[in-house]
Amino acid sequence: MEWQRLREKAFTTTKEALAASVNDNHLIIQAVASMEDLDRTSNTLIKRLREWYSLYGPEFSHAVTDNEAFTRRVLEKSKQEQLQELQCKQSMGADLQEQDVQEMLALAGMIRAMHEERARLERYLETIMQRHCPNITAIAGPTIAARLLQEAGSLRQLAIIQASTIQMYGAEKALFRHLKTGAKPPKHGHIINHPLIAKAQAKDKGKIARALADKLSIAAKVDYFKGDPIGDELRKALEERFG
Amino acid sequence: MKPARFDNIYEEKAKKGMKLFTKSAYEDFRGFEEAIITKDDQQYREVDPERSKLFAAVAKGISQIGIREGSSVLYLGASHGYTASYCSDIIGKQGKILCVDVAPRVVRDLVFLCEKRDNMAPLLADCRQPETYKEFISENVDVVFQDIAQRDQVSIFLKNCDQFLKQGGFGLLAVKARSIDVTKKPALVFKQAYQELDKARSTVIVDKRELAPYEKDHVLFVVKKR
Ligand SMILES: C[S@@+](CC[C@H](N)C(=O)[O-])C[C@H]1O[C@@H](n2cnc3c(N)ncnc32)[C@H](O)[C@@H]1O
Repeated sequence: MEWQRLREKAFTTTKEALAASVNDNHLIIQAVASMEDLDRTSNTLIKRLREWYSLYGPEFSHAVTDNEAFTRRVLEKSKQEQLQELQCKQSMGADLQEQDVQEMLALAGMIRAMHEERARLERYLETIMQRHCPNITAIAGPTIAARLLQEAGSLRQLAIIQASTIQMYGAEKALFRHLKTGAKPPKHGHIINHPLIAKAQAKDKGKIARALADKLSIAAKVDYFKGDPIGDELRKALEERFG
Repeated sequence: MKPARFDNIYEEKAKKGMKLFTKSAYEDFRGFEEAIITKDDQQYREVDPERSKLFAAVAKGISQIGIREGSSVLYLGASHGYTASYCSDIIGKQGKILCVDVAPRVVRDLVFLCEKRDNMAPLLADCRQPETYKEFISENVDVVFQDIAQRDQVSIFLKNCDQFLKQGGFGLLAVKARSIDVTKKPALVFKQAYQELDKARSTVIVDKRELAPYEKDHVLFVVKKR
């Protein structure tokens, strides 16, 4: 039957086209999204771990504020060693049985694995970003550049939108609040995490964000149209002006 | 439960308004967590008019949908295939429906869906370029259905109707006001879409329904090919 034949052909063609449609852009978008998932999940779990561990060694939970360091040291040091290091003579924590402590450590182990996976993903992202869009990566670093790509959906889109849109990517919520309630308009989205903006004084942040977005917009076009490398040069110019 | 005004569509009084069902063409199929009712060994799948513009129009009393038992349908903008799967019920095993979408993300789901239903076929294609899929349409179809939410949706629709709709066949077009122009008032957008459709020589407008409250700022137009 004619329909059966056409239907078979539609499946074959579509499956081929789907397989061929996957590119670096998709891999990058999934990798940054996975990084965000890991951050969110490990943050939730670490809050639980801190609360749980506080039944046993609250002084230690209290003293080590960095999450990664806290997780690592819970796994590596006994309660005795920890208390000695903190020069704590009397602990508020209970003396728990081995079995009770083991469960906390199992959770800590999982969180540590997530931190390790996060670091691996970051290295992977760097490699693939270097390959896919070296110029915006040179300016913004792999993570921020990948977030911008994720917002835009594709390198092509990032190359054709205006610099002011790039500047606002990641600030949609604040922008919406501004339009709706007249709250202060946001000056920047994801690029706020860029070292140049992060360390700048509040009054300069807007100006730097604008300049940074301008350069990123140029770099995205060069990446998309495969022009001569320009990223390092643009970054140096920014660093000289604002660094 | 009693037959509604169209082939294989049924309705049942509910607390608020009517519940809509299609007579399931493929037994034990459940693709969208929809409720299934069995009566006299026949399964009926409930359809949510808030998820389907076609059935929103049915709930709003549209006079004609063109899709009947045995129809051939070209469905543009099929997405995951929610509405398309119910069209597949309406046309039954003797009908056929080619489901086109341009986004790989949703077409993956569509492939799995079509594999379970012999009268459906998936196609990854851009309906702005009818020439890329004309080889999959052996003779002109009874119905062209389009729901793509794009700025140039009316002209794309007319192009596809010109090329693939048979004489006397029906074209159904879902128009989303916001995707034509976010700053314009929906009423104005709909009026312009109407005028653009009305100007077309090969088709006449048969009916139109606003889809609120099921779907905000949407209209479904029904045209017939001369
Ligand atoms: C609102 S959804 C359709 C929902 C579907 N009709 C239903 O009721 O189940 C719009 C779909 O149109 C698709 N689309 C947009 N532009 C298209 C184009 N040029 N060609 C084919 N599909 C397109 C999108 O990928 C999206 O899946």
